[in-house]
Amino acid sequence: MPLRRILVVGGGVAGFSAVRELRERGYDGELTLLSPEGLPYDRPPLSKGYLLGTEDAQKIRLVPEAWYAEHGVGLVPERASALRPSEGAVELSGGRLVPADRVLLATGSTPRRLGVAGGDTALTLRTRADADALRTALAPGARVAVVGAGLIGSEVASAAVVLGAEATLIDPVVPPLVPAVGRALAERLQGMHAERGVRTSVSVPVEITDDGGRRLVRLADGSAVEADVVVAGIGVVPETSLAEKSGLAADDGILVDAAGTTSNPAVFAAGDATRLRRPDGTLARRSEHWEAAVRSGQAAAAGLLGEAPPTFGAPWFWSDRHGVHVEAVGTLDERQAPDGRTVVRFVDGVPQAAFLLAADGRLLGCAVVDLPLMVRAARRIIDRGLVPDPAALSDPSADPRKLAR
Amino acid sequence: MSDGIDVGSPEEIEEGTARIVEPEESGFDEPIAVFHTETGCFFALNDICTHEEASLAEGWIEGETVECPLHSSSFDLRSGKVLGLPATEDARTHRVEVEDGRIVLYPGRDAEQAVRPSGPSAG
Ligand SMILES: Cc1cc2nc3c(=O)[nH]c(=O)nc-3n(C[C@H](O)[C@H](O)[C@H](O)COP(=O)(O)OP(=O)(O)OC[C@H]3O[C@@H](n4cnc5c(N)ncnc54)[C@H](O)[C@@H]3O)c2cc1C
Ligand code: FES
Repeated sequence: MPLRRILVVGGGVAGFSAVRELRERGYDGELTLLSPEGLPYDRPPLSKGYLLGTEDAQKIRLVPEAWYAEHGVGLVPERASALRPSEGAVELSGGRLVPADRVLLATGSTPRRLGVAGGDTALTLRTRADADALRTALAPGARVAVVGAGLIGSEVASAAVVLGAEATLIDPVVPPLVPAVGRALAERLQGMHAERGVRTSVSVPVEITDDGGRRLVRLADGSAVEADVVVAGIGVVPETSLAEKSGLAADDGILVDAAGTTSNPAVFAAGDATRLRRPDGTLARRSEHWEAAVRSGQAAAAGLLGEAPPTFGAPWFWSDRHGVHVEAVGTLDERQAPDGRTVVRFVDGVPQAAFLLAADGRLLGCAVVDLPLMVRAARRIIDRGLVPDPAALSDPSADPRKLAR
Repeated sequence: MSDGIDVGSPEEIEEGTARIVEPEESGFDEPIAVFHTETGCFFALNDICTHEEASLAEGWIEGETVECPLHSSSFDLRSGKVLGLPATEDARTHRVEVEDGRIVLYPGRDAEQAVRPSGPSAG
């Protein structure tokens, strides 16, 4: 049966990338993108430029509205409520049935709620509406308690002090992000909070109380943080409900292969909502980063068309806080390199790049603070399986451009 | 259409790097990056990435592409065409020639193989 109708559920960067890739691969049948949030936009600016007010809604959209009509993509601002594979259709929340030969689920993830008494009063940040609400709350002088000092929590605290609010970051792990960027850079980044006026509190909330407008985040160590607004940045939960309701295999993410195929051959999935099942049956860690979402959307587009998915190299992410640009490629998690070692490049005594080397000398990962060429060199070294000279990696005068040649 | 301006000798821009020509020097209203590729060619694009504020001259130059140092969108140096997200708008090209052993930049004049540097070309 020829493939004539594809429906993509979710207009995040994974769903959008799949739609774009389908057209690039020459698919010319019907293509519908369900995007309950309206015109698809990019999320990373929500905790950066958009939150600070330096970028507006127009600036962060993925492409202008005209693009969808030009590429024959029907943009429908509705949610899917059920998959009806046997009828070859998807049911929308309004009750309408949309026929589809194949479906791509790109439903993303939602912020994990703070599971303590009063925890639902905490704001979270995932959508533009969330960012608008947070922006209003981050008024000059407002006291903000941010629970979770990971990537998003730290970005929010960083934006809060720029906007003139007072921020306290609460996290039991000091420093956080060691597996993501290595210990040296994690410590440097942690130290920047105090330099920029963000207080840190090493504990976990046990309760949020609110008596007469006086909100207190009570911590396990017996202390309390007084706040006008509480934000939770404690991770995300993959949005698998639609998939599970339809009987698709899921385990902390909709299970997919490298081409996005789920346990139902007519249904594919991509992005933050998914988790890769390797050919040997083991499950990979779920990714929560932008580039991985783009790539899996592209791979699923190939899968939807019955074509081989492209192979991708080491994963990469970035984050911006306190005026610095943090990036990492591959892994810095020493638990993944039993006999390996970490090499650090210092510039004037400040760690600027960290490298994880395998026992055989191959590069497994690189993280940097404000050293973009190094992470780009590292990506090529990793993807080409080169064995770099550790002395050159740590030498601040060694030009990254030369290392990957 | 402006006249060409001399931006130096080919040796002054090392292969795999770029030089920024500021508006004061070029008369063009935005900074222009003149790239020297490892294939030995010269190309010029508006220096500021079409996505956010990053200098493409500080990007990774490989073959005939440059990868933005901030969020890694790549641009085709010959045409300015954007090759991947998050940027979706092509970069503006400028013509560069090597004339009598000097690099000559024609600010505001499209490169021969340029795509139209207008709206988005996401697809
Ligand atoms: C504030 C913030 C900052 C970030 N910063 C960075 C960063 O600096 N670097 C980085 O690498 N990554 C960053 N990320 C992560 C990155 O944005 C995500 O990995 C990426 O957005 C995932 O894309 P996705 O398309 O899989 O999911 P999403 O972007 O979550 O999109 C899923 C969409 O599906 C829709 N949907 C869900 N259920 C249904 C349904 N039943 N019917 C129809 N539609 C549905 C949702 O409404 C949503 O619009 C950030 C994320 C956030 C929230
Ligand atoms: S600024 Fe160039 S890709 Fe974002």
